[in-house]
Amino acid sequence: MRNFLVIILSLVGAIATSQNKQILYGFDDIPQSLMLNPGSKVLQKKHYGIPFLSQIHVNGGSSGVSAYDIFKNGNDNINDRITQKIFEMKNTDFFTATQQLELINFGWRSQSEIYFSGGIYQELDFIAYFPRDLAILAWEGNRDYLNYEFDLGEISTTGDFMTVYHFGLNKQISKKLTVGARLKLYSSMFSYRSVNNSGTFVTRLGDETSENIYEHTIQNADVSVETSGYSSLRDLDGAGQVTREILGRAFFGGNVGVGVDVGLTYEINDAFTLSASALDVGAIFHSKDVENYRAHGSYTLDGINLIFPPLGEGDPTFPYYDNLEDEIKEEIPIDTLYNSYVQFRPTKLNASLSYGFGRFNGSGACDCLNMGNNNLHKQNIGLQLYSIFRPKRPQMAATLFYQRRFTDFLSAKATYTVDSYSYSNIGLGMAADFGKLNFYIVTDNLINYSNLAKAKSVSLQLGFNIIIDEE
Amino acid sequence: MNTKFSLSILMACACLFFTACIKDTDFDQAEQIALTPIVELDLIYFDIQANRFFDSINSTPVLTVRDTTEIKFLDDGTLQESLKRAEFYFKFTNSIPRDFLVNFQFLSEANDTTYATGTPVAQGSLAAPVVTEFVENVEGENILLLTQAHKVVVSVSIPSSDETLEGNLNLKSKTTYFLEY
Repeated sequence: MRNFLVIILSLVGAIATSQNKQILYGFDDIPQSLMLNPGSKVLQKKHYGIPFLSQIHVNGGSSGVSAYDIFKNGNDNINDRITQKIFEMKNTDFFTATQQLELINFGWRSQSEIYFSGGIYQELDFIAYFPRDLAILAWEGNRDYLNYEFDLGEISTTGDFMTVYHFGLNKQISKKLTVGARLKLYSSMFSYRSVNNSGTFVTRLGDETSENIYEHTIQNADVSVETSGYSSLRDLDGAGQVTREILGRAFFGGNVGVGVDVGLTYEINDAFTLSASALDVGAIFHSKDVENYRAHGSYTLDGINLIFPPLGEGDPTFPYYDNLEDEIKEEIPIDTLYNSYVQFRPTKLNASLSYGFGRFNGSGACDCLNMGNNNLHKQNIGLQLYSIFRPKRPQMAATLFYQRRFTDFLSAKATYTVDSYSYSNIGLGMAADFGKLNFYIVTDNLINYSNLAKAKSVSLQLGFNIIIDEE
Repeated sequence: MNTKFSLSILMACACLFFTACIKDTDFDQAEQIALTPIVELDLIYFDIQANRFFDSINSTPVLTVRDTTEIKFLDDGTLQESLKRAEFYFKFTNSIPRDFLVNFQFLSEANDTTYATGTPVAQGSLAAPVVTEFVENVEGENILLLTQAHKVVVSVSIPSSDETLEGNLNLKSKTTYFLEY
C-alpha cells in the first residue's frame, strides 16, 4: 500500500499529465498537428516522421495534489501533509497518465490535392479518480467514522495500452473550407476498467437489541473490474515473457477496435479562422482473453456467535469461522465472468478561433512555408477549447494562444491554459526546420519548470520529421 | 527578424528544457509514510441460558462450558507485521444469580497456548441484570504472542448450579486494532 502510494505520487511529480495538446493544436508548421485536427491546413507537400522519433508524448497530471505538496522539505510531518491532502481532495479529483510514441508517420499530397496521411502509434492511457472515502478508511480506519457511509462507488479507473493504425484524408474543398477525416484501427494489448460501481460500507454502533457491539454493513455493493489481455499473462513466467506476449498483440494479436477522427478549418475572412475536431470517436471490442470480476450483494457482520453446544470429549465444535466465510461469500459473491465488453475511447473535442495579422513572406527568395494560394499570417492570436470524455464527467480546458512565425524556418506558439489542474498553465512550443529536417518541442507548465515538483500536470511532446515543401 | 535573434530564442528554449528540475523536495521522506488506521471490529458474542449449566438427563451440574472458534485473521502474516496494539472490550450482561469466571485462551494452529486472559463476571438477577465490562489491552511483546493465535477457546465457569437456576449470560465483544503499515 505504502509503495503504491509512493509510486503514484512520484509519477505525478516527475511526469505529470492529461491528454490536452493545446500547443500542438493548430500549430500547422508541425505535421503532427494533423493528428489533432485531420481538417487542419497542411502546409507541406510530403512529410515523413523519423521512425520512433516523430512524436514522443508524455503527459501526467493530478488535479488535487502535486508532489511538492507531499514531499516538500519542512519541519512538519509527511503523514500530516498526506492526511491534510486526503481531506482536501474531492472524489472528482483524479490522477492521469498518457504516453504516446509514434512508430511511423507519413503524408503526401496527391495530384488531386488530397493530402493523405497515415501511421502507427502506441498509446498508454490511464486515469484513476481519487476514491476519497476508501482513502480515509485505509488511512484512518473506521473508529472515528461510526455511522459514516463509505462510498464504494468512488472507485473509478480505466487503463489502456494499445497500438493505433491510422489513415486519413485532408482536402481544401473551397477557398474557405478544409476538411479531413481519419480512420483508426485500435489493436488493444492490455485493458482494464472499473467504473459504475456502487454500494456503501458502514459501521454502526448497535443498541440493546443488537447481536453485538457493532453492525458492520456492506449495503447494495456492486463493484466490478473488467480486464482484457490480463488472464493469459497471469501464468507467464517473468517480465521477459510478459513483454513478449504483450508486444505480440501489437499487430492485431489481441482485441481490436475502430474509430474516426474528423475535423475542419473554416476561414471566415482574411483575418479570422475557425477550426474544430473530434478525435477517437470509437470503441474497442474486448472479446478475447477477457476476465471480469464482480462482487455484489449486501451483508451485515456481527462477529462470531458462539452457541456452546453440549459436546462429548474430543468432539469438534461448529466451524464458526468457516461458516462465516461461506456466509459472506454467499451474500456477496465474487463472480468471475468471461463476457465480452465494449470500451468506448475517450473522445476528445477541440475547437479554436484564431485571428491572424501581418502577412508572412519568408525571407526573400525561398518562401518555403508559403504554399499555393495560402497566405500565412505572421502572427495569430486566439482561443482554443478542449474537452475529453472521462468516466465521471468530461474534463475541459480553455486556452489563449499567440503564435508567431519568426523566419521561414522558425515559428513558435505560446499558450495560457485554464484546466482542472490549474489556472496558471503557460506553455511554449517551437518548430524549426533545418533544411528538410523538422524538429519540434512543446511543453506546458513553464511557470513550474524551475521546480517540476510543484506542477500538478506536465505535458511534453517532441519529435523529428522530414518535410518536403511545395516546389 | 534575423537569424541570430531566432537562434537566441531557440537556445533560450533549449535552456529551459534542460534546466527543468525538481527541488525543495525530499523523496526520502517516503520512508516515513505510515498508514495508521484504527479499526473497530466485532469479535464474538453469545447468549447462554442458565439451564446450560445443568445436565437435566443425568441431573448433574455442568460447572464449565466451553466453545472454540477459529480466528484465522489473527495469525495472518500481514497482521502480524502491522498490528501494534489490540484492545479487547467484553461486555457481559448477567441475569443469572451466580458469579462467573470467563477465560479466553488463544491457541496456535498446533494447539499451543499463545495468549490467555480472563475475567470474573458479577452475578445479577432476572429483575436486575448486571453489566460487567472487561478491557484487555495487548501491546509490545504480547502482540507477537497474540498474533500467533489461530483460534480462541472460551470457557465459562459457574461455582454451582441446579435445575431451578434461571436467567442468561450474554456477551458482546469487539476489538480495536491499532495498525501501522
